[in-house]
Amino acid sequence: MLSVDFEKRVGNFHLRPKFEADDEMVVLLGPSGSGKSLTLRAIAGLLTPDRGRIEVPDGVVFDASTRVNLPPQSRNVGYVVQNLALFPHLSVAANIGFALSRWPSAQRQQRIAELLDLLSLTGLESRLPNAISGGQQQRVALGRALAARPRVLLLDEPFTALDAPVRNALRREVARLRRQLGLLALFVTHDLQEAYALADRIAVYDQGEVLQFGSRQEVFGQPKNVRVAQLLDARNIFEGTVIAKTEAFTEVETPWFRARARAEGDLPPNSRAALTIRPEHVILLRPGRPHSELLDTVLDVELEEELATGNNHRLYLRVLRDGQPTDCVIEADLSAHPFQVMGVASEKRWQVALTLDQAVAIPVV
Amino acid sequence: MTAETAGRLDSRSDGTRVPLLAIFAPTAALFVAFMGLPLLAMFWRAANNEQLADNITSDFVLDAMRLSAITSTIALLITLVFGTPLAYLLARGSFPGKIFVDLLVDLPIVLPPTVAGVALLVAFGRRGVLGPELDVIGVELAFTTTAVVLAQTFVSAPYYIRTVKAGFESVDVQYEGVAATLGASPLRIFWRIVLPLAWPSVFAGAILCWARALSELGATLIFAGNFQGRTQTMPLAILGVFDAGRTVDLAIALSVILVIAAAVLLLILRLFARSSNAGF
Repeated sequence: MLSVDFEKRVGNFHLRPKFEADDEMVVLLGPSGSGKSLTLRAIAGLLTPDRGRIEVPDGVVFDASTRVNLPPQSRNVGYVVQNLALFPHLSVAANIGFALSRWPSAQRQQRIAELLDLLSLTGLESRLPNAISGGQQQRVALGRALAARPRVLLLDEPFTALDAPVRNALRREVARLRRQLGLLALFVTHDLQEAYALADRIAVYDQGEVLQFGSRQEVFGQPKNVRVAQLLDARNIFEGTVIAKTEAFTEVETPWFRARARAEGDLPPNSRAALTIRPEHVILLRPGRPHSELLDTVLDVELEEELATGNNHRLYLRVLRDGQPTDCVIEADLSAHPFQVMGVASEKRWQVALTLDQAVAIPVV
Repeated sequence: MTAETAGRLDSRSDGTRVPLLAIFAPTAALFVAFMGLPLLAMFWRAANNEQLADNITSDFVLDAMRLSAITSTIALLITLVFGTPLAYLLARGSFPGKIFVDLLVDLPIVLPPTVAGVALLVAFGRRGVLGPELDVIGVELAFTTTAVVLAQTFVSAPYYIRTVKAGFESVDVQYEGVAATLGASPLRIFWRIVLPLAWPSVFAGAILCWARALSELGATLIFAGNFQGRTQTMPLAILGVFDAGRTVDLAIALSVILVIAAAVLLLILRLFARSSNAGF
């Protein structure tokens, strides 16, 4: 198990992350300067917290109350930094074998060969790092970090400098390696897609603090508050007031419409709340067609704009009130097939359903 | 001047026209002549001197060469051993009084070497501040070969420390952090990562330091005196030629050797800088 709960002040910045993880892929997501990388440095032993405690699967590595502070050498943590920091004067094999200097030569050679094979680097062992491609450099950095069989792998935005296809391939590879080796991995990124693609669990960082920590579905589906929703680039955030609360739903009144939603967190009547729904969960309906779920919210909208993004169409739908356009636009994602079958492009007037399952009311902070 | 040669003069090898080159060429040529002529004259006198070989193999010149070679090499070794850790501390560390240490290290570069000689004499001379203490343990420094080495080290080490400090600063500190997470001890990190990556600076600093030690005169003269075979290095021997009313051809022989040594060192430095730029 990994357990992080510490504080560190650096100038005006107050870092105070708190989360726990098991053998899984944990993504630290947040804007740059929010403390994700510093958290990794603290776990690796390159930054000493002011107080608190850090535990990795091999044991407690930092505890201010008992004055435990293991040096980086004794933490058994694999660390891949953002610019990789491959040793430029050492060959691929020497880089990968750097952590194995105390191993007997035969075992060291065997382990290096194993890693070269695992990472598809065989044949490049005598090259210098600047003589191989960016993707290969990433794999060398991974191999070097994994060589001494750490239980924890720390990855600090390792793929940002790469082209999209290489990045995608490496993401899959990292996910495969992590499962295969049974590792706990912490992956820092500010890229939402990367976070969504990789994460078992996500820690959402903002200004030195973990705002929300939970499974990918929890965090993306039920952002804890408006700030998290903003950081997750959630579309369709409509602020308003709670006007009713029952066992089954919480009703929010926004300046443009009323909607029934699932409540996330404590939302008493009259409290400020935001209604959120992800674009892919907005259901497009032909006007006048009866909608069977009575508790869902059905709104009249006008198709204002449509953007094709690969297999998807993003629709910008202006909400109508009493037949008049308002300044509220709902975004909806529709895949190519229903888009064509429904003839979306040829009509202007539509309705949308915000289902009770997917509409989430969250506190405004 | 034909149009063709003019065209060659005011353009770079990549074909870019640089008109200023042609305008500055005359003054530059004049200055190159000013720098080159004295050296040429000296070489010409040496080449036309039938006793050149005898002069070079005279005890006077050979003693000076031997002493210069030994003392400058020892000064360089002392600088490597003590200057390298200091350069690293100045590059990476933060400690109280760092700016003063930094200043102190740079000071001998701008001071007249005679000032360094006086300072050394006042500190370590027989009647100096540490004189009585040194006397008790039976050490006498002033006017010995050891004094020559100390004077050379004092004056030349700053060149090494400055260069190597800049070299250490240019090594990304991330390497050291990553190496630590890979289990490398601090000393192994230094030997295997930091030193190899700063190697071009270490080499350049060592050459500069050695060249400066080889040409050291003022501090040595004051702190060590000018005694043949004991403290009379090559620059001091040249001075000795004039003091003792010997033939000026001895001074010319010594000078030619020093010019060649300095030119070779500079050439090595240039070639090395080029090859290490082409590396990683």
